Amino acid sequence: MKSRQIDPDRLPPGTYLNTGEAASRGLAINRFCYDLKRPENRERYKADPDGEMERYGIDPVDRDLIRAKDWLALVKRGANVFVLLRLSLMHGDSLTATGAQMRGETVEEYLASRKIKAGASLTSKET
Amino acid sequence: MGRIVGGLGSPHAPSIGALIDKGAWDDPDWKPLMDGYRPMQAWLARTKPDAAILVYNDHVTSFFFDLYPTFALSVAAEHAIADEGFGPRPLPPIPGNAEFAWHVAHSLVDDEFDITVCQDMPLDHGALTPASALWPDRSQGWPCPILPIAVNVLQFPVPSPRRLFRLGQALARAVESFGDDGFRVVVLGTGGLSHQLHGERFGYQNHPWDMEFLDLLENDPERLTSLRLQDYIDRGGAEGSEVIMWLAMRGALPAKVRRLHRNYHAPLHTGFAQVLFEVP
Repeated sequence: MKSRQIDPDRLPPGTYLNTGEAASRGLAINRFCYDLKRPENRERYKADPDGEMERYGIDPVDRDLIRAKDWLALVKRGANVFVLLRLSLMHGDSLTATGAQMRGETVEEYLASRKIKAGASLTSKET
Repeated sequence: MGRIVGGLGSPHAPSIGALIDKGAWDDPDWKPLMDGYRPMQAWLARTKPDAAILVYNDHVTSFFFDLYPTFALSVAAEHAIADEGFGPRPLPPIPGNAEFAWHVAHSLVDDEFDITVCQDMPLDHGALTPASALWPDRSQGWPCPILPIAVNVLQFPVPSPRRLFRLGQALARAVESFGDDGFRVVVLGTGGLSHQLHGERFGYQNHPWDMEFLDLLENDPERLTSLRLQDYIDRGGAEGSEVIMWLAMRGALPAKVRRLHRNYHAPLHTGFAQVLFEVP
């Protein structure tokens, strides 16, 4: 792929852009996560995660990664972080927890590098 | 003839929306950011614009990657509050101005910006965070109709920084050619500044670059348009490259602007900035 705006081979380490092959490969899992904006989909997924992943034709490798909450591997395989957050939150991982995992850190290790922990008024889900 | 009277820059992180919904404007950790909205709120309350053009990105809420517009605007009379996956925020729908929005759509397409026209485009945090932060008093309903313009900054190819600046210039022409005499418009650029929310580079920030960006935005925006998206990703993080949406705001303003306000706070994942430019 050639672009005047980006050099896909010279991105900063740890960066995975939603383009080309990754965007095509990620379409199924991204659609599954996208539809979690619907309350009925969230309910169906909570009640029967395997059945819902089957319904959306999620690749078996991706299903295992979801069960393992391996958000970094899913991003590398084309999942977009904004839709993936709907799924990681349902699995109990906030943005902070999802991000810490992608960095290969614990939440405590990550927060040690930040100015604040969350803000007293916010729950851990909201940061 | 319409007239653009000011440009505002604001982050659009959902955590800010959560603070607003709890009334937690004075949370000590976030106060340096939340206080940054006060002068902007006061200026808007005083200026009472007739419409706000809000340049934002949808976070895969109203649009999915199967059919993904580069530029889209809503001509709806009312913009619904989207459910992003955790229930919609407790906000009333935001009014639009259909006549103005259709005019802008025509003007942009006449100007070779072939924008997607939407009649039902629920808004997510990309638009709701800045709107709810800038107009906190909704006791009489939302005080200002909004024309939301959604930009693809997520699935590459993403439009170039220069293209966003030119979008702003085209928006200025659209406002100037609007029939209503004395119709006063503000333009909001949203998102940023430096941050990355995915991969091992999650949490990346670059404060010196954020300062340089704000300086150039004010005094030499053409310099910012000559950079590539790759430069924005390198310097400000992959998700931080959404700051190109601030270039649309700046492009809608004249070369000389009066900066009334600037604020910066980087509490957690993102370097947050707010600016207010008045057209002299």
